[in-house]
Amino acid sequence: MASAGSGDEKAAAAAMITLISSDNEKFEVTEATATLSQTIRHMIEDGCTDGGVPLPNVTSKILARVIEYCKKHATAAAGEEGSSSSFSDAAFLEVDRAFLEELEEFDDAFLEVDRATLFDLILAANYLDIKGLLNLTCQKVADSVKGKTPEQIREMYNIVNDLTPEEEAEIRRETQWAFE
Amino acid sequence: MSERQSAKKLATPAGTDADDPFAALPDAILQHILSFLPVQPAVRTCVLAWRWRHLWEGMPGLRITAANAPEPPCAPDDLVSSGELREFVDHLLLLRGGAPLDSCEFMFDVRADADVPHVNLWIRHVIRCQLRRLELSITRENDDRGLRFHVDNLPLVSRHLRRLELYDTELNDSFLDFSGCPGLEELEINNGGFIRAKRISSKSVKRLSVIDCSFNDRFRTRIDVPSLISLQLDDPWDRTPVLGSMPLLVAASVRLGTGCVMSLDWCDTSDSGDCDDENCPGCYGLEGDYRTAIGANKNRSVLLNGLSEASSLVLTDDSKAQKFIFKRDVKWCPTFRKLKTLVLNDYWCVPPDFRELACLLEHSPVLEKLTIQMFSKGPEHEVQINGSYRPMEGSTAISENLKIVEVKCEVVDEGVLKVLDFLQTLNIDFNFEDEEEILAKDGPTTPINCIKKWKV
Repeated sequence: MASAGSGDEKAAAAAMITLISSDNEKFEVTEATATLSQTIRHMIEDGCTDGGVPLPNVTSKILARVIEYCKKHATAAAGEEGSSSSFSDAAFLEVDRAFLEELEEFDDAFLEVDRATLFDLILAANYLDIKGLLNLTCQKVADSVKGKTPEQIREMYNIVNDLTPEEEAEIRRETQWAFE
Repeated sequence: MSERQSAKKLATPAGTDADDPFAALPDAILQHILSFLPVQPAVRTCVLAWRWRHLWEGMPGLRITAANAPEPPCAPDDLVSSGELREFVDHLLLLRGGAPLDSCEFMFDVRADADVPHVNLWIRHVIRCQLRRLELSITRENDDRGLRFHVDNLPLVSRHLRRLELYDTELNDSFLDFSGCPGLEELEINNGGFIRAKRISSKSVKRLSVIDCSFNDRFRTRIDVPSLISLQLDDPWDRTPVLGSMPLLVAASVRLGTGCVMSLDWCDTSDSGDCDDENCPGCYGLEGDYRTAIGANKNRSVLLNGLSEASSLVLTDDSKAQKFIFKRDVKWCPTFRKLKTLVLNDYWCVPPDFRELACLLEHSPVLEKLTIQMFSKGPEHEVQINGSYRPMEGSTAISENLKIVEVKCEVVDEGVLKVLDFLQTLNIDFNFEDEEEILAKDGPTTPINCIKKWKV
């Protein structure tokens, strides 16, 4: 929109970063996409991204999904993440509203994954320090246990109750105020 | 302990659905997940397993809603405060101690007057937990004085607070003096009560939204936020607040009358603040009016002066009854020396002389894009007519950089044609390349002859 913006985009398009998954698959992404990850942003700032960025904790399957998320959100990222210098000119204009709705739809569809993938995404978002993705995925898990009793949550997620009946009774007594 | 650890290991060999997926996550992430739950179910996870028993104490976020909150929680007035909530939150806050908090939301209705000081104390307590984001969404359904929750007449003091969101909050001058919060950057006030508040002040706030708020009719509230970068002011009720100087402003949107209610900021006899009655508060000064010059030529600009450094502005007024604040302001129209994008509505387009529109254009020397929404709020507009400025020698009345002029409307009626007429007197030409499309969309309601007249 603003003339300065197109210049930035050009500069960002020129700078490509190679991300390498744990199973040695290479992904070429723009710097704008990659820097949604604070972890990678710091690596770029420190100038240690030549020859690719190895991500030994992230499989290619998960990394592909993470990149998909970052690509979509990279354009919106300027306004978020509290970087005050880049408030969008069009903050209140219609274009933005439509785009935000589109992002929401994307996020909803993005979360349509099986449980193992969801938790892998949480780990990847945490490791790569992508705040938006971490919030999105953690919210999804929180939503899944809403309205459920502790017993139902245990069953749902196969959480082994390693408390003895005495210990559990003790905890319930200590936190009686929460169980009334 | 070691027994427990081996039990945990046995339970989590690999990533299949049969295993506890939480086992692979560090405590900090579990606590992050708990922060998305209302506090009651979050605390109750303490009996899930040994590992979970103290996790709630370090949750970085608290969503404090009434115990009977529906799932998912909706409007705060659906949530009833109760003795139970009071006991719960007292326990929660005292037992978790001063563990740092990233975010805290209060969302419930306070029924008993006796609970008000208590809730205010909770707010002060969480502020002291290095809180970064606070949301107050507290109502008073049973209060004769109105729906809003009255916050303590005390300033907030925190080096950590970055974002503050206030819904249905009755405000006061002490609370709105944010000099004790040097890190506060984002402030959002929805349906706030400024009846007793003469001033919002912060040297740090960069982003401010003031939406559907009630102001006083005897004075103008001053908004003094000199570091502001972006401003949204929607539908202030009663006297429009005065904007102080904002040299860093980039984008601002001021929409008046969007609620379709009659504003009380007006004058019986004048629509532009010059009724010649020295006693008329609307025209000749309220407490809080902006005064930069002494004598007859007092600059009493309410909104425009403060907006003069912006590069992007949306200025609309949709009120049905007469609303004069922009027209009054135009008399002291500043030069918008950085303004590149301007969105206006029909309010600004008053034939025959289009004085207000002309004035804004004359005072916007570097304007690049002008959008006029004629009786069409969008975001979808039935008709869009594009034009461009053709600089002529010797004509310096408007910006030479004006490349894009858009007129958006439902139908191309007489009013729209008059605007196009006026713009053409400024050498702005409209090109109806999309004429067929317009006609197809609008059918016979569009006066075809008029459109053809405009074809270049």
